[in-house]
Amino acid sequence: MNDKKLKIIKKIIWLRLAQVIVNNRYKKGDFDVPIHLAMGHESIAVAIDSVMRETDCLFLTHRNIHYNLARIETLKEELDEYYLRFTGLSKGSLGSMNLSNPDKNIIYSSSILGNNLAVGSGFALGNKVKNPNGVVFIVTGDGAIEEGAFYESLLFLKSNKLPSIIIIENNEWSLGTKIEERRSNIDLKKLASSLEIEYSFLEKNDPFEYANQIELLRSNAVLNRSPVLIEVKLTTFGFWYLKNQDFPDGKFINYHAGPAPELKVDEYPVIKSSNEDPLYVLTKYHPWESLKEIAIDLQEQLLTEIS
Amino acid sequence: MKYVQYLNSLIKEQLGSQSDIVIYGQNIDAGSSLSGLTRGLSVKKGLIINTQNSENLLVGAGFGLMLNNVSSVFFMKQMDFLLLGIDHLVNTYNIIRQSNPKASFTIFPVTVDSGFEGPQSSLNNFDDFCSIAGVDGYSFTNKNDAKVIISNHLVKPGFRILSTGQRLLRESTLELNILHQEASGKYFQYKKGSDATIVCFNQALQYGLELSNLMQEKSISSSLFSINFHLQASYQFIFEDINFTKRLIIIDDSKSKNRLSDKFLSEVLGICKLRRYKMVTRQIQVDDYFPRKDDLEIEYNDIISDIFKS
Repeated sequence: MNDKKLKIIKKIIWLRLAQVIVNNRYKKGDFDVPIHLAMGHESIAVAIDSVMRETDCLFLTHRNIHYNLARIETLKEELDEYYLRFTGLSKGSLGSMNLSNPDKNIIYSSSILGNNLAVGSGFALGNKVKNPNGVVFIVTGDGAIEEGAFYESLLFLKSNKLPSIIIIENNEWSLGTKIEERRSNIDLKKLASSLEIEYSFLEKNDPFEYANQIELLRSNAVLNRSPVLIEVKLTTFGFWYLKNQDFPDGKFINYHAGPAPELKVDEYPVIKSSNEDPLYVLTKYHPWESLKEIAIDLQEQLLTEIS
Repeated sequence: MKYVQYLNSLIKEQLGSQSDIVIYGQNIDAGSSLSGLTRGLSVKKGLIINTQNSENLLVGAGFGLMLNNVSSVFFMKQMDFLLLGIDHLVNTYNIIRQSNPKASFTIFPVTVDSGFEGPQSSLNNFDDFCSIAGVDGYSFTNKNDAKVIISNHLVKPGFRILSTGQRLLRESTLELNILHQEASGKYFQYKKGSDATIVCFNQALQYGLELSNLMQEKSISSSLFSINFHLQASYQFIFEDINFTKRLIIIDDSKSKNRLSDKFLSEVLGICKLRRYKMVTRQIQVDDYFPRKDDLEIEYNDIISDIFKS
């Protein structure tokens, strides 16, 4: 395995371990700010981080912990931001849902569904004036694509020939409702096609396949001066059960925000033994015991860093 | 010269020398070019874009340009279209303002106040847009205040909204000598008198001028002010005038229930010793939302009688 691949594997494990630490502190009531954990989203975050050039920029949503951590590669500043300390990533001025990091090309994060699509689109137009080589990456979700801003932005990016990549993290849930509980299906491939926008569907959390595909799509975005739409199927881990008169046996609700109280992990912090879990997918490339050793080392480094 | 032609010449003068700037909006470089307001615009270096009809996106995009350190002006045919961009005026701007941006972003909507447009296009509440997120907003009504405001605020670091009334655009340019102005154009004084002070809000200067002229015919001298800035400011200079005349008439043609003029009056009542005051505002009736003439109906002689009643 080459160094680049090993670095990606380590970063995915580190991202999971860092989020487990945040979750453990969250469970203890350490944070006043609402945090949207992204355990299960590690592969796409690391793949995008690995593809981004110095001229590329990232626009995020309220669920931004995975990208922020992947870009900065330290936990302490992020934790301090959640504690709203002056030593935080943004000196305690942004908290979690709006956390950005311009030094690492994370320009803007919005807690309002669809809001970052418009802002990222404007930034992409600015690139046309002063930085034509830059690609704007805008992350959104299956909930935000229900907003008019999604369509408006695709049309704007296409009409103005702006190299950009829209990533839709599709975990099928918005707050406590599944897609089929709130709307009819949206065929994103057809929607993209109607606007002559290239569309790609990613699933199964293989970070190397993701990185290769996104690299190719980035090239197409630059070559064609066009947006590209990527739908990523993923699972956000940390479910709970709603119990009331209607659901006496409990109704499954996927994780949205806050601490994930039931979540427990072993030394190798895999949550689900299937390709829904990016950490399980890594076992395709590295022996379990070896991954466990990497995790133990990274855990020690993390605890030293934040102690 | 029609007011719209005059404003167009001011805008062209200001933008023509700008580099790395984006001028955008619906129909700004096509058809009537917003009734001539944006006709023939050019920039030294940058983009002029006739955009799609997506106001929410277009307001957010201006802030995105700002984050990329690119200045922009977004021209908009009607202020009520800006309702679709309120999320960005509030939520996005709350983040942008933290970073003290060097780039300029100006939204330039036309306030719809000419009447007959129908229930959905009769909103003239500039104060509300500025109040909701603490956004700087300037309006102008004549030749000289427009020159001060457009030359000072159309392109400068930060974000603001500039607007004028659709009703005035079709009229000849009103020329009034400025006796005094707040340095950045937050208010202007056009007349100095000793018997009464008239203070106009929103697009109401023409009514104040009519009242002042009528007073003059009756040998009553009045001071005449127009408040052009739509957030609260320091009005000490005006308060001194009111303390001298001790009679105040406020005229506000806005349909807002969140009027800056109410806050102004509240301050005046706490600071100034008045003999009499009169507040002229709209009494909103259901038919105000019908396609009707939109002018403020004022019984000027009644106001004069009332304010000088012993």
